[in-house]
Amino acid sequence: MEHEFFLNAGMPTWHSLSSAMDIQGTDQSSDCLLNTSWETSADHGVHFDSALSSMVSSPAASNTNVPNDSFVIRELIGKLGNIGNSGEISPHSRPLLGNAAIAAAATSYNSANTSAYTTPLSSPPKLGVTLIKHLVNESSPNSGKPMPLNSSVAEFSADPGFAERAARFSRFGSRSFNGRTTQFVPNNAEVPYKSNLLPRVASSPSLKAVGSQMGAQESNNSPELANSQEESTVSEQIPNGETGLKGTQDSNSRKRKAASKGKAKEPALSPFANATKVAEANDNSNAKRCKQSEPDGNENGPVKAEETRGSAGEEQDAKTNNTKPPEAPKDYIHVRARRGQATDSHSLAERVRREKISERMKLLQDLVPGCNKVTGKALMLDEIINYVQSLQRQVEFLSMKLASVNTRLDFNLDNLIHKDIFQSNNPLQHPIFPLDSSASAFYGHQPQQNEALNANISNGTVTQSSVDPLQLPPLNGFSNTVSQYTMFGEDDLQTIVQMGFGNRETPLQPQSFHGEEKIMRKSVFL
Amino acid sequence: MATNGVTLNTNSRKIRFARRFISILLKMRKTRPCSPSIEDVRKRSQRIKIAAYSSMAHAVGPRRAWSRAVLFKLRSRARHQSMMTRRSFGLQKKRFVKNNDIPSGQLSQADRLRQLVPGGKAMDMSSLLEETADYISCLATQVKVMQTIADRFSK
Repeated sequence: MEHEFFLNAGMPTWHSLSSAMDIQGTDQSSDCLLNTSWETSADHGVHFDSALSSMVSSPAASNTNVPNDSFVIRELIGKLGNIGNSGEISPHSRPLLGNAAIAAAATSYNSANTSAYTTPLSSPPKLGVTLIKHLVNESSPNSGKPMPLNSSVAEFSADPGFAERAARFSRFGSRSFNGRTTQFVPNNAEVPYKSNLLPRVASSPSLKAVGSQMGAQESNNSPELANSQEESTVSEQIPNGETGLKGTQDSNSRKRKAASKGKAKEPALSPFANATKVAEANDNSNAKRCKQSEPDGNENGPVKAEETRGSAGEEQDAKTNNTKPPEAPKDYIHVRARRGQATDSHSLAERVRREKISERMKLLQDLVPGCNKVTGKALMLDEIINYVQSLQRQVEFLSMKLASVNTRLDFNLDNLIHKDIFQSNNPLQHPIFPLDSSASAFYGHQPQQNEALNANISNGTVTQSSVDPLQLPPLNGFSNTVSQYTMFGEDDLQTIVQMGFGNRETPLQPQSFHGEEKIMRKSVFL
Repeated sequence: MATNGVTLNTNSRKIRFARRFISILLKMRKTRPCSPSIEDVRKRSQRIKIAAYSSMAHAVGPRRAWSRAVLFKLRSRARHQSMMTRRSFGLQKKRFVKNNDIPSGQLSQADRLRQLVPGGKAMDMSSLLEETADYISCLATQVKVMQTIADRFSK
């Protein structure tokens, strides 16, 4: 059923070719299609080749009024291209159309219609029947009859099996009337037409089966068809006239691919080009560097830009180093990215952090003695650590010293108290009673050790009931008595701070009071 | 306050430290041992050292991270001592604290500096250097004042 529908759909298009052509029934055509031994297929193919080639190339088939045949054929192809694209004929191109041109147009139209596979939408539009009739009528103004076809074509049109063979050639074989008519045309005229063709795909599996059988028969019987079908399948039919063009297009595409590969390999193979590209990329980032140097000020901007380098710039250097091919030549000049190129927030924060660290290192360099000689952050950190450790050791040592001195002062304080008691019983000339043990320690007054006092204390003759340490009995026989009312407070603090600043000592001026009955009071700060 | 043409800034760090440190030293005299043994001297020296650090931290104030760390350590130590005195009659478990400190030979320089500066473990590098600079200046002042007091007492 599919064969019948297929053949019935394909047959009526042959009415326009010749009225003398017999259209066979569907049964006979199906038998012809399924017949495996077709005896005259090769002979008819040879005659068909010669007829179609003579239709284009023979001077007898062309109009004798036109002097240059090749020029007319080329002009015809160009005008037909314009017709196919625009759908109209320019008036100055009409006299150039000869009999061969009209016949070629007619055969190409008919062969296009006999194809069972519909042409894709991307293919150029074909000449219509009315357009061909219009061309035929205007090409012979003297005779109102349409111009007859070529004699060879008429002979083949009278053949009863011509329709089936032609239909079979156009359906399943790689040969079509389009390919035959344009076989001897130069390739530059063919490119606009053939570059848009798409592969034709069969729509039913039965057609594929029949096509495979017919392809096997044709490859066994005719060597020309076998040669043409080596590159074609059922799913992709390539006309014979297009094989050479396909080869050129494939070669051109291969050349293009090779050129594109060569372009892709040029940066890898030519390091100097890569270096120039990196330099251009660096030159394009000058605006960013200018924007960076503006907030820093006119004086500190370039210095800071040269002082530190952004981490993103280092990452870009690493990327450029990674893209470098391993087989680079020895004279490869690596162009490093310029400083200050990174402008993202991370690199700016890193730059600010490094600037802060450098400022603090300079401050520490001023604080730590002997750090001016050291160059490098690691050695400076070593010096800082050693200096901090030495200061902490000094604090420990001084605390030990103060602890030992403090205990001695406590015992000296006891001795001073007992000395005051002894002085109340045994008057001395010009006694000086330091009111505080810390004052005696500050001002260099060593307590006078009295042997009698020590003997009395050791013998136990002096009792504490007879001694009031805060209120001493009046001393007789003294013209000058010294009374000091000082506390361990602001004055001592002043002397300590003065010693810390300028190591100046202010000696205590003793105050003398005239009178024998003055009570000397001593306030002991415990 | 001017003495012999020398103007003294009472608000300076050095004077504040000297006042506080001398007052702490005078308070420490109230406890007078009968016999100056080595253990008593060690305890007293430890107290003096703590007094020196605390007086310097108070003189600096809570503006610096190292002074805040010192003050927090002293307060936590005082709390711990008060808790220990309150539960003196209860059973006390000995707590063995594992020292996970890496030896100083394997530490980097920044980590060694963080161990030296109080409160430096939670600092980044820039703030650590800033705190180190202030801590060094305070330590130098502290050493000068303590040296002056020790020299005057030892005469």
